[in-house]
Amino acid sequence: MNTPLLQEILGNASRTDTNLDGSSSFKAQTLNFGLLDEYSKREIRRAILTAVAVPGYQVPFGSREMPVARGWGSGGLQISLAIVGPDDVVKVIDQGDDEGVNAVNLRRLIVSSTGIPESTTPEDSTLIQTRHRIPEDPLDARHTLVLQVPVPEPLRGVERDMRELARMHAEADYARMWVSLYEDKVRNGVITRTTGYPCLVNSRYVIATTPIPRWDIPRLHQSEFLSLFGAGREKRIYAVPPHTDVEPLTFEDVPFEVEKTPGAKCRNCASNNTFLVEVLATDVRQSYWVCSDSDWCRRHRELSDSSSQGLMT
Amino acid sequence: MGYAAARGGLQAIEAAEKLVARERILGQSSWLDTDQIIEKLRLAVDRVMSEGGLWDEQLAASALRQAEGDPIEAAHLLRSYRSTLPRIAYSTPIDADDMVVLRRIVPAFRNPPGPQLLGRTTDYTGRLLHTEDDDTQRTNAEKMAAYIQENVTNFPDNDDDKNHDRSSRSPRRLLELLRDLDSVVDRRRSDDPEPFDITRHPARPPASRSARLATMARAETGALVNVWYRNILGPDGYLHEITLGEVRHGRLPVRMLHPLTGDEITVSFVRVTEVEAIEDLNGIDEDRGRFDVGYGLCFGHNEKKAIAMANLDIACERDQGRSFLEQSILLTTDGLDASGFLEHLKLPHYVTFRSMMERKVAIRQHQEASKNLESK
Repeated sequence: MNTPLLQEILGNASRTDTNLDGSSSFKAQTLNFGLLDEYSKREIRRAILTAVAVPGYQVPFGSREMPVARGWGSGGLQISLAIVGPDDVVKVIDQGDDEGVNAVNLRRLIVSSTGIPESTTPEDSTLIQTRHRIPEDPLDARHTLVLQVPVPEPLRGVERDMRELARMHAEADYARMWVSLYEDKVRNGVITRTTGYPCLVNSRYVIATTPIPRWDIPRLHQSEFLSLFGAGREKRIYAVPPHTDVEPLTFEDVPFEVEKTPGAKCRNCASNNTFLVEVLATDVRQSYWVCSDSDWCRRHRELSDSSSQGLMT
Repeated sequence: MGYAAARGGLQAIEAAEKLVARERILGQSSWLDTDQIIEKLRLAVDRVMSEGGLWDEQLAASALRQAEGDPIEAAHLLRSYRSTLPRIAYSTPIDADDMVVLRRIVPAFRNPPGPQLLGRTTDYTGRLLHTEDDDTQRTNAEKMAAYIQENVTNFPDNDDDKNHDRSSRSPRRLLELLRDLDSVVDRRRSDDPEPFDITRHPARPPASRSARLATMARAETGALVNVWYRNILGPDGYLHEITLGEVRHGRLPVRMLHPLTGDEITVSFVRVTEVEAIEDLNGIDEDRGRFDVGYGLCFGHNEKKAIAMANLDIACERDQGRSFLEQSILLTTDGLDASGFLEHLKLPHYVTFRSMMERKVAIRQHQEASKNLESK
C-alpha cells in the first residue's frame, strides 16, 4: 500500500502515531502540541484572561475552524487546546457520559494532539470538557471546567438586533428579560425555562448557562473551580471564576426550581440525588431512570455492590 | 475498572471511519487523482477554495476527494487545516486593475471600452445532458481533442494569448468611464483604514464595509444567492436588481515584501471573479442624478457568488443599518457555521430534552390545579 493511500485511510487523528507504517516520512505529519498554532493559542488565552477578569462578559474572539464542526464543541475545544499543558489529565463528557460518541471524538482529538493522559474520573482529572452537564462530583481548585456553548446570548429570545443586545449588556439593561420571565409565570403558572437558565454573574452580567440543566446551576455559584464557556460558532468566550456569585434570575416569591421527578431513582446505583434521565422501554410502564453522569454512577454502583458484599475495608 | 465498556463508543466511531474508507478509497473504481479533480471539476475546486478561504488547488482537490464531493465539508477541511498553520507574513495590497482577464463581460453597454470576452463559459450553451453511454462519450471526447489539435490554431491559451494585446487582457473599467462622465457618486475615501480581518476578529453589526466584503467573499455560495434572492423576491423584498457593469474572471498576482531585501516580489497568482454592479439611486435622500456601485470579488471562477456579493454590498450601503440585512450577511452566510449548527442536532440532546419534559409536566400540573380550583 503506498503512503498517500495509507495516509488517506488513517486520516488526521492517527497522524501523531509514528509506528504505523514504520516509515519516518510519517513523522513529518506530526501536528503542533494542541493542534492550533501558538499564535492562535495565545489569542484564545488572552480572551480567556479578559473573560476571567470580567465575569460573565462575552469576550469576542477570532474563533478558529476546528477539526470538529461548528456546533459540535468547537468553542470548548479551542479553549481546551489553548490552555492544556503536558501535566494535564483530560476528561470529556457529553450529556454527562464519557462514552458519548462526540465526547469520545473530542477526547481522541485532545489526547492525540497532546499526548496527555485521559480519565473518566474527576478526581484524577484537571481539565474537564463538557457538553450539557457538570459532573456530579464536587470539583475543586485543581479543576478547570470547559463548557461547550451553542448559543451564548441569553437575551436573544427577547431581542434580535445585535446592536441593541450589545447596548443592553453594556448598560446592564435586563428589564425585558425580567418582563419575559414575569409573563412566563403569569401565562403558564410556572417559569417554563428549561436548560441554559439565565443567571446573573457577579451582580453584573446575565449569562446563558449553556444548556446545562437547572440541576447543575447551584454548583456554579461560589464554586471552587474555574468555569470557561466557549462558543466557537458565535465567537464568544465567557467565564465564571471561582468564588463568584451566580444567581438564577427569579422573583422573591417564585423560588428557582431544579428538575425533579418524585419517586424516581437510578436503576443502576439507586441514587435519587443526581440528575436522572429516563430510559424508555417499548412499554412505557417498563421505563426506568439512570444517572446522566455515567462515571459517577459506575463508581457508586461498585461502592454499593462491594459494601453490600462486605468487601469494604 | 469497568473501562472496557467505555471503549464501545470509540470502536463504533472507528468502524464508521473504516466503512467510509472502504467505499471511498478501496472501492472498485480507479484512484481519483487530484490533478483530475482540478482539471475536470474546476468549479467545485474553485468553490471550495473560496469558501475555505485558502488558495491551494491541490489541497482543495484533496479535500473534495476526502469529503466525497461535499463542498461544505471540503471547505471545512481546508479551514481547519488553516487553523494549524501560523500566519508568518502578509501580502501587500493588490490593485484589481493588475488582473489579466480570462473572461470579461459588460452587460450595461453594447460596446464598452475594451472587449466583451466570453472566455470559458457555458452561459450560452444549451443545457443538454449527454446521455450517450460512457464509452461513446469518451470516444467523442477523444475525437474532439484530435480535431482541436489539428484544426484550431488560435485556441485561446489561458496564460499567454498572443492574439490579444495587453490592453484587451487588462481592459479599462466601465466604472472609470462613468466617473469621467460624472455619473457615479464618489464614495472613495482617503483615510485608507486597515481592512477588517474576519479570521481574527468576529464581524458583528455595525461592521465596516471591508468586514462585510470579506464575509461575503468566504460565504457559502448557496447561502449568499439565497440572501440575495429572498431580498429581491422573498419576504424581505426591498433590494434593487442591479445592472452589471463588469463581470470578470482573471488572474491576479500575490505580492509580498521580501523579508531580507524589503523588495516587493510576486509569490503567487490567484484566480478571482470580480463584479461591479451599478445601482440606480432612487431613495428620497439619495443623489438621483447619479449611480452608485457595489463590488464583489471572490476566489476562483464563481460568477453567481460575486454577482450576489456586489448586489448585497450596495444594498447594505443603501440600507444604512435600517434593516437586518447586514446582520443576515455577517451572521448567516457562512457555510461552516450554518451546516455545523444544523448537523449538531444529530448529537444526543437527552439531558436538555429531559429538562423540557420535566417542565411540561410542571405546566400540566399547574393547569390541572387551576382547573380544579375553578370548578370548586
